[in-house]
Amino acid sequence: MSAPTQNQSPDSQHTASDNTTHFGYKTIDKDDKVSMVAGVFHSVAKQYDVMNDLMSFGVHRLWKRFTIDASGVRPGNDVLDLAGGTGDLTAKFSQLVGKEGNVVLADINSSMLNVGRDKLRDKGLVQNINYVQANAQYLPFEDNTFDIVTIAFGLRNVTDKDMALRSIYRVLKPGGRLLVLEFSKPEHELLNKAYDFYSFNILPKMGELVAKDGDSYQYLAESIRMHPDQETLKTMMDNAGFEQTSYKNLTGGVVALHKGYKF
Amino acid sequence: MLQQALTSSLELLINKALSLNISALNINLVDLTKLQQKTLTIVLSELSFPISFSVDSNRILVSGLTERANCTINTSIKTLQKLKAEQQITELIKQGKLDLSGDIKVAQQFASLAENLNIDWQSELANHIGDVPTHKLVQLSKKVADKFQFAAKQIKADASEYIVHEKRLVVTRSQVEHFNHQVNEVSRQVDDISTRIANLSKQISNQ
Repeated sequence: MSAPTQNQSPDSQHTASDNTTHFGYKTIDKDDKVSMVAGVFHSVAKQYDVMNDLMSFGVHRLWKRFTIDASGVRPGNDVLDLAGGTGDLTAKFSQLVGKEGNVVLADINSSMLNVGRDKLRDKGLVQNINYVQANAQYLPFEDNTFDIVTIAFGLRNVTDKDMALRSIYRVLKPGGRLLVLEFSKPEHELLNKAYDFYSFNILPKMGELVAKDGDSYQYLAESIRMHPDQETLKTMMDNAGFEQTSYKNLTGGVVALHKGYKF
Repeated sequence: MLQQALTSSLELLINKALSLNISALNINLVDLTKLQQKTLTIVLSELSFPISFSVDSNRILVSGLTERANCTINTSIKTLQKLKAEQQITELIKQGKLDLSGDIKVAQQFASLAENLNIDWQSELANHIGDVPTHKLVQLSKKVADKFQFAAKQIKADASEYIVHEKRLVVTRSQVEHFNHQVNEVSRQVDDISTRIANLSKQISNQ
C-alpha cells in the first residue's frame, strides 16, 4: 500500500456543502463514517492497550505524560477526556484533580468506553470519574463546563472536525484549554519514509497477528495520512475560536500536541 | 521527552518502594494523609526541567506540572542527597545551597517521608528469584563494588600524585609561549642572515 496520491485531500479540505468525507483513503458519505469508525473500534477495543504498546514501542505513554504535563491541571479542575478510549489520560487526571475535581471520560464507542470503565475500576479509580457516550460534534454538556478538554488520538476519526472543535470550544470555561494529541506529519523526509514503510507494511501485519484484525490497522495507517498536518490543524483551531494556539512536535513530528485557549 | 521518561521511571520506583514500606509499617499512613493533594516541585540546576511530587491516596504522582506546587525547591543533585534528613533543610537554606519558596512544612513532610523509606532489597529480590541466586548475586555485586572502590581509590591516589609532584614538572603556558617566541626570533634571524648572504653573493658576482 502506498501513501495517498495528490488528488486525495485531507479531511479538512471538505466543505460544509460537500457531503463526503474520508474513511482512510476511501471517500464515503459523511453519514456512514460514524458507523464505519465504530466498527473499527468495536473490533479492536479489547486489544487496544496491548496494540498501542506494541505499535509505539511503549512511547505512547510518554506522549500522554507530555500531554498531562502541558495541561497545567490543578486540584479541583473539571476535565473532559474526549475520545478517551481505554482511559489512560483519565486515570492520571483523576489522581491529579483530587476529590474536589471531576473527570469525564467520553467516547462515541460503547465498547471502548466499557473497556475503559473496567480498567479504571480495576485500578480503584471510581471517586471522581463519570462516563459519557458522546459524539465530539454534539457534546452533551452545558456551555463553559470544563477547565481542560483533551482529545488524544481521536480527532482524526471524527467526521466533521471543525464542528467538533467548535463544540469543544463551547463547553470550555473561559480560561480553559484544549489539548489535541494526534498523529501528524514527520518533520524529516527520511523519517517520513521509514514511518510510511512501518505503517503500511508492518502495522497491519501486527494487527492481524495480535488483534486478529489487519483491516482496522490498515485504516489506522490510512487515517493518519489523511489527517490535517500541524499547521492546518492549528489554523482549524484558530477558526474555531481558540486563541494562543500552538503545537509541539513529538518524536520528530510522528505525533503533535496542539494547544489552544478559550478567553 | 527525557522529562517524561524520567518522571515515569521515578514514579514507578517510588511507588514500589512506598508500597513495600507501607506493608512493612515503616511509613505511617497518617503521614501520607497530611500530604494529600500537596505538591512539592524540585528544580535541579543539573536538569533543564522541574520535577513535581504530589500525593494522591497511597500513591505519589511524579510529573512536570509546576502550576500546582505548594512548595518549590531550587537546588543541586549533591544537596538533594542531604535533604533526606528533615532537620537539614534550614541549615542548607542558611548555607545558600537551597532556595525554597512556598510552604516549608510541605518540604519537611516530604523529607520525613523520604527518610522513612527503607527497603530490604535483598529479601525483596529473594522473593522473586530465590535465596541462592540472590546470595550469589549479592556476593557478585559486593565483589564488583569492591573492585570499583579499589579503582576509584587508585585513580584518586594517582590524581593526587600528579597534582602534588608531576604537575610541578609540567611545562607551563607562559613557558610554552616564551619558547614559541624564541623559535620565532631564531626564524627571523635566519631569514635576515639568508637575505644578507644573498646580497653578499650578488655583490661578489657583480665584481
